[in-house]
Amino acid sequence: MAGLANSFGRGAMTNHFNDYKNTDVFLVIGSNAAETHPMAMKWIQRAKELRGAKLIVADPRLTKTAAHADIFARHRPGTDIPFLLGIMNYAIQNNLYHKEYIANYTNASYLVNPNYGFQDGLFSGAGEKNGKFSYDKNTWQYQKDGETIKKDFTLEHPNCVFQLLKKHVSRYDIETVSKITGVPKDIYRNVCETFASTGAPEKSGNIIYAMGITQHTYGTQNVRAIAMLQLLLGNIGKAGGGVNAQRGESNVQGSTDLAMLSHLLPGYLGVPNATKHTCLQDYIEKETPPSGYWKNKPKFLISLLKAFYGEKATKENDFCFDWLPKVDGKNRSHMGIFQEMLDGNVKGLIAWGQNPAVGGPGAQFERKAMEQLDWLVVVDLFETETAAFWHGPGADPKNIKTECFLLPAAFSFEKEGSVTNSGRWIQYRYKAVDPPGEAKTDTWIADKLFKAIRKEYQNGGKFPEPILNMHWDYDKPGHDEPDIAKIALEINGYAVGENKPLDSFGKLADDGSTVCGMWIYTGYWAMDKDFKVAKCKRRSREDSGLGTFLKWSFSWPLNRRILYNRCATDPQGNPWDPKRALFKWNGTKWIANDVPDYNSKIAPEKSAQAPFIMLPNGNGRLFANGLADGPFPEHYEPMESPVSNIISKQQNTPCASVFKGDWAKIAELGDSRFPYVATTHRQLEHYQSGAVTRNTPSLVEVCPWMYVSLSENLAREKGIKPGDEVWVETIRGKIKCLASVSPVVKPLTVNGKKIEVIGLPWHWGYQGMSTGATANDITPAVGDGNTSIPEYKAFLCNIRKA
Amino acid sequence: MAAQKWSFKITPLRIILMLLAALAAVIAVYRLATGLSTVSNLNDNWPWGLWIGLDVLTGVALAGGGYSASLIIHILHVEKFKPLSRSAALTSLIGYLLVVAALFLEIGRWYNFWVPFVSWGYHSTLFEVFMCISLYTLVQIMEFSEILTERVLTFLHKPIVKIMPVLLILGTLLPFGHQASLGGLYLLQVGRLHPLWWTPLLPWLFLMSSFFVGPAMITIESSLSGRAFNHHIDKQILRSFIRISGYVMIAYLAIKIIDLIRLGVFGYIFEGSLESNMFLLEMIIGVIIPIIICFSPLSATKKGLITFGVFTTAGVVLNRMNVVFTGMYKALGSGYFPAWTEWAVSAGLIAGGILLYLFIVENFNILEYDKKYQTA
Amino acid sequence: MSKAVLVDLTKCIGCKSCQTSCKQWNDLPAIKPQFDNTLSYPAETDGYTYTTVLHRTTEKNGQETLRFAKRQCLHCLEPACASACFAKAIQKTPEGPVVYNPDLCVGCRYCMLACPFSIPKYDWESVFPQIVKCQFCFDREGTHDRIGHGMEPACVNACPTGCLKFGERDELLKEAWKRINKYSKYIKHVYGEKEAGGTSWLYIADVPFETFDFRTNVPNIPLSTYSHDYLKWSPAVFIGGGALLSALHFYTKRRNEIAKEKDKNHDINA
Ligand SMILES: Nc1nc2c(c(=O)[nH]1)N[C@H]1C(S)=C(S)[C@@H](COP(=O)(O)OP(=O)(O)OC[C@H]3O[C@@H](n4cnc5c(=O)[nH]c(N)nc54)[C@H](O)[C@@H]3O)O[C@H]1N2
Ligand SMILES: Nc1nc2c(c(=O)[nH]1)N[C@H]1C(S)=C(S)[C@@H](COP(=O)(O)OP(=O)(O)OC[C@H]3O[C@@H](n4cnc5c(=O)[nH]c(N)nc54)[C@H](O)[C@@H]3O)O[C@H]1N2
Ligand code: SF4
Ligand code: SF4
Ligand code: SF4
Ligand code: SF4
Ligand code: SF4
Ligand SMILES: [Mo]
Repeated sequence: MAGLANSFGRGAMTNHFNDYKNTDVFLVIGSNAAETHPMAMKWIQRAKELRGAKLIVADPRLTKTAAHADIFARHRPGTDIPFLLGIMNYAIQNNLYHKEYIANYTNASYLVNPNYGFQDGLFSGAGEKNGKFSYDKNTWQYQKDGETIKKDFTLEHPNCVFQLLKKHVSRYDIETVSKITGVPKDIYRNVCETFASTGAPEKSGNIIYAMGITQHTYGTQNVRAIAMLQLLLGNIGKAGGGVNAQRGESNVQGSTDLAMLSHLLPGYLGVPNATKHTCLQDYIEKETPPSGYWKNKPKFLISLLKAFYGEKATKENDFCFDWLPKVDGKNRSHMGIFQEMLDGNVKGLIAWGQNPAVGGPGAQFERKAMEQLDWLVVVDLFETETAAFWHGPGADPKNIKTECFLLPAAFSFEKEGSVTNSGRWIQYRYKAVDPPGEAKTDTWIADKLFKAIRKEYQNGGKFPEPILNMHWDYDKPGHDEPDIAKIALEINGYAVGENKPLDSFGKLADDGSTVCGMWIYTGYWAMDKDFKVAKCKRRSREDSGLGTFLKWSFSWPLNRRILYNRCATDPQGNPWDPKRALFKWNGTKWIANDVPDYNSKIAPEKSAQAPFIMLPNGNGRLFANGLADGPFPEHYEPMESPVSNIISKQQNTPCASVFKGDWAKIAELGDSRFPYVATTHRQLEHYQSGAVTRNTPSLVEVCPWMYVSLSENLAREKGIKPGDEVWVETIRGKIKCLASVSPVVKPLTVNGKKIEVIGLPWHWGYQGMSTGATANDITPAVGDGNTSIPEYKAFLCNIRKA
Repeated sequence: MAAQKWSFKITPLRIILMLLAALAAVIAVYRLATGLSTVSNLNDNWPWGLWIGLDVLTGVALAGGGYSASLIIHILHVEKFKPLSRSAALTSLIGYLLVVAALFLEIGRWYNFWVPFVSWGYHSTLFEVFMCISLYTLVQIMEFSEILTERVLTFLHKPIVKIMPVLLILGTLLPFGHQASLGGLYLLQVGRLHPLWWTPLLPWLFLMSSFFVGPAMITIESSLSGRAFNHHIDKQILRSFIRISGYVMIAYLAIKIIDLIRLGVFGYIFEGSLESNMFLLEMIIGVIIPIIICFSPLSATKKGLITFGVFTTAGVVLNRMNVVFTGMYKALGSGYFPAWTEWAVSAGLIAGGILLYLFIVENFNILEYDKKYQTA
Repeated sequence: MSKAVLVDLTKCIGCKSCQTSCKQWNDLPAIKPQFDNTLSYPAETDGYTYTTVLHRTTEKNGQETLRFAKRQCLHCLEPACASACFAKAIQKTPEGPVVYNPDLCVGCRYCMLACPFSIPKYDWESVFPQIVKCQFCFDREGTHDRIGHGMEPACVNACPTGCLKFGERDELLKEAWKRINKYSKYIKHVYGEKEAGGTSWLYIADVPFETFDFRTNVPNIPLSTYSHDYLKWSPAVFIGGGALLSALHFYTKRRNEIAKEKDKNHDINA
């Protein structure tokens, strides 16, 4: 999501599933939609049928999605950047990019510091800080005339972003890309031609991605490459276009919005830093950009503080800013926490709807880490591997002192509330059945837990104020369950003293007169006048035009279905494709099929200057200086790779998040013990760590066995027959699986060398009805430099008959 | 007569037979109580296996001696064959009883065995088979009670003798139906049963072969019982008896060849596949060699007669097995080999049949019937 | 007026939603199948499974690819299984579904052998096993009914891609040909239009049906034609045969008696 936020301003899927039917060319890269987002396939197929859309799939495996592709490019895990930069290069060399679009809507025309440079695989400013590699970003800044950025709308200036980009990607010609990725040249050329054709103004190209892109040490840059390609071809903001990051769990978008990530508060407000932000004013001054919609940040933060601390939060006491938890600059992501746990610095863990004993990188070491805990609380539907970490393989319960608690939780069908899907729709759902036995809803558990903790703090403790003074009023008289409506109202926001949901975050104030738990959702709980229900409860099947269905639920922000939709028309307001007009300026006002993601009250030429309203300069970023590892993406090899980087001397990304101990062991380049490339993937029949699906008989039945896919060639070499037990081994350990031998995976020719690829699903563990080896026992604990997402998708292994 | 003691000699062979039968009985009870999967290797690809193939299809064909003898002796009144009639009828009856027993074990929902009597699936070939076999077994029991009532329930003897002609006609007619229909069952296997066997004429070929195997069975049986009971049938009678088979066989061979040519599948014979080899074997053993024996001086010898009997019988067994297994193998796959329990039940049934035969022969007027007839 | 389903395999993503929803709707038990290299679990319909999605690797335009096919009873217009059932335990309903009634079933398994598509399966493990096959969600008075209540089958309802379409057979057949004629990718064959005299489930695809081991040598006439052609002789055989045999019986008997008398007379005369 960091890649998107740094390119467009928001870290979310730009379009939505229904809109896929408007696409001309799909590039599905690192997503196996047919298995992980089946509904997406419905709309992809509709586009194929209605528009003759073409589907390109780039994946190391012949997936169920690839089975429907017009072009299937089988590439080596971890080589998406060359794949994508090569398409950009092709589009630029062949003049297929959308020139009017990039000149007006992106930073292509911005002039960059003349000292910016790139050499030997590193950007200017490379250096060390606190013993760690880091970039000094001074040379990555724009040239300015006072406060205004220098631009060259002809895009000819050698220091303009476009020329820098052109130069940067020029190294990724078809030949080179084919050598790195293993995609045969003719197939790759076909990919380039087909996708670059969407640079034509009237065409829409749609890039769909998921974990095949993000789970790399340069995952954020992978996403950047996608975003840049789409900007270059003018595909953002259009119906049928977009960068569609298909989010995973049914409500992962919702939980990300609501601060699931360790560095964010609800609504994508950064968590204050203990040293950087000593007071509210400090935070506001340092974190509020002078332009772009984020200049309203103080309103959002102060409304949030009002939601947290209620009447206690006053102007005089900085709205209790001091009570907010702060970060200390250390890695507090999943792996960071487990590293601390391994080191014995974390005493207690609440695993709430999470099963790291199966899903975490190097899961065997994560289980080891849990042995260091004094106590563990698991809130789950089942006794998961995490809850039962003490009797996993290799664990000796006698030596484990951790006190474990399992709180039974209710499943999604057993409770009421909203979930936010990948397309940002906040949809309200009702309870279908009562939870079984003693299971309770998560809100109930949270409510009771908080009240119990507060009670403890009444007897004293360290820093009790934020707990004792937390605004916590969700009781529903006569009910044991908290009142969801009260929670929803608080998230939506209201004016102090009024109990009515606000209908727009435009009404939030920074003076303490409004309360809002998460500004981006404002309006979702407001009443729809026609349907007389909260907007997230609406279910009208009436198409508002182009399949936007504006009266079906509520989409954040402000019910906009396609983000950055100012780009759907030219600066004068004429749709790029009149047959697919999302908006049209009729001379006096906008004719709209969607909610404008711009100021629709001003002249089109004016709003065209800042179509990416969340970015300070209002233009999409082909060149982005916010990331740790470079303003442009550059190809590096995965941390474990069988080949050396042929495009530069820099083998791996210098910014990767690395950890220490056995956990973080990495095989060296050319380690002959581990000659094959492994990747992990999902499959339709199981969900995630399998806690639910491996406990559901009819799902166990449709895929009961943990397996490894290997090529017919490799199977022949190793004398492995389908169904044989085999060991898959990495430098971190080995697991036993059954062999599935099929063309799903095949060897690739990489720079003249034959490279075998194997695929491992990661859904199995030792609990539940269907048990099997845990793929993550052997995955590496190394992460992306920006987000720390683990490199689950490319590592080295060996395979042999068990 | 009623005072006469029941006799049953116990010999080592008979003890073995009794053990086999007892084992089968135990397995049968177990099967009825626990289902099919516990004793058989039948599966979804091979819903029909050894019991249908051997015990039913083959059993019925071999028990066909009864109706061909009956046709010749009772309908056509070829009197010289009359000495054969009672033993033919007995083997046939026992054969059918075994078939019925096997069928009962075979059906999965045996408590529903009566349903087809009231819920008539008359469009099914199996319906015809079912009705015919049931009626025929009944008729045979009644026919046979002519002999039984000579010794037990004697008061029934007279009325039975009275209705004998009707029973005899029915008893000859019914097998025509089900012998053919057993082949008819496989008509639905069009495209699956190997073309060397599948033909629209399949029922009629089944009928003919069940007819010609009758005399063959009788030669075997009379030579066996001849040895056991020192009872000898005139070779000449047997010779002219098997001649009837011989003519039918020639017709059978001709029809088969013409039919293969007509259906354009004659070439398969020399394909060299498992199917073609089995087909050739079946035809050579079961038809061609017997024809040669039959119409050559060989058939005047005891050896020749027995060879004829054994070869013809083996040929028919092979034919039925080929239809059930060899010919279906390509379509259904190789996923079935009978479980030992299936073999045991089949063997036990046969053992039981033999024991029953021996018992009846020892206690009723079966083999001596010819003498009685001759002296009458 | 016969209900049918059009299965457009070009739209199938192998998601098995149809399969699991069938299991749930029909309260069928789940089992743990053997390992299958293609990951079609279970690899075939069985005594606990009305429908399964076959996964196959194949080639299209010179490239390896995957294809999927939902398999279940085709609900023949003139079903061989029903014609084979001697207890009328399987019957074709006017609405289209071919349904099984365990109360009448003897368990002879002839229907299993009779079905040209090898559909009926047996729940072998039971003491009194039943024939198991897709009932087209038809259960006129029963708990598993959908068609009878005017709903589409559970599997069709669950299919996310529109691969399964429920409707009237003649309309779906028209639509099948419309699609085939409009898009060049399709094989020019509607599987089930003619096979075994026509079926209620119709398939179209962009790869040969042999890919999924669909039998392509099934005659285009109802299989029952073969047994009818034979069985129609039965009454004639029985009546005619009966008469003939009786005649022969009495004729030969009389002839022998006459011959014997002659013999006697001859003896006396001699
Ligand atoms: N049935 C099912 N659906 C799910 C889930 C589930 O567990 N089961 N999980 C949900 C969640 S939380 C998520 S995040 C999503 C994830 O959804 P996806 O990202 O679609 O799922 P994955 O199978 O992890 O990865 C997608 C593809 O990336 C490919 N891949 C591997 N390495 C690379 C690479 O280097 N480059 C590229 N381009 N591709 C690569 C894999 O072969 C795989 O086919 O799915 C969601 N939906
Ligand atoms: N090798 C490899 N590893 C991966 C990935 C990969 O692609 N490859 N993908 C990664 C990704 S994208 C993700 S999202 C993570 C997922 O990793 P996790 O989040 O750890 O895995 P889940 O199985 O989704 O865990 C969810 C848990 O919540 C429980 N649960 C379900 N519903 C409820 C509820 O309503 N309330 C409560 N309290 N509990 C509930 C479930 O039973 C389950 O135990 O895994 C990551 N791990
Ligand atoms: S969330 Fe589940 S049910 Fe809904 S489309 Fe995705 S896979 Fe299907
Ligand atoms: S497909 Fe088979 S089981 Fe289904 S109706 Fe046709 S013959 Fe009967
Ligand atoms: S098994 Fe049952 S349904 Fe099938 S033919 Fe026999 S009696 Fe009929
Ligand atoms: S029609 Fe009904 S019974 Fe048949 S496969 Fe579909 S869901 Fe199952
Ligand atoms: S539900 Fe539809 S798309 Fe999924 S496997 Fe079944 S038929 Fe195919
Ligand atoms: Mo995820």
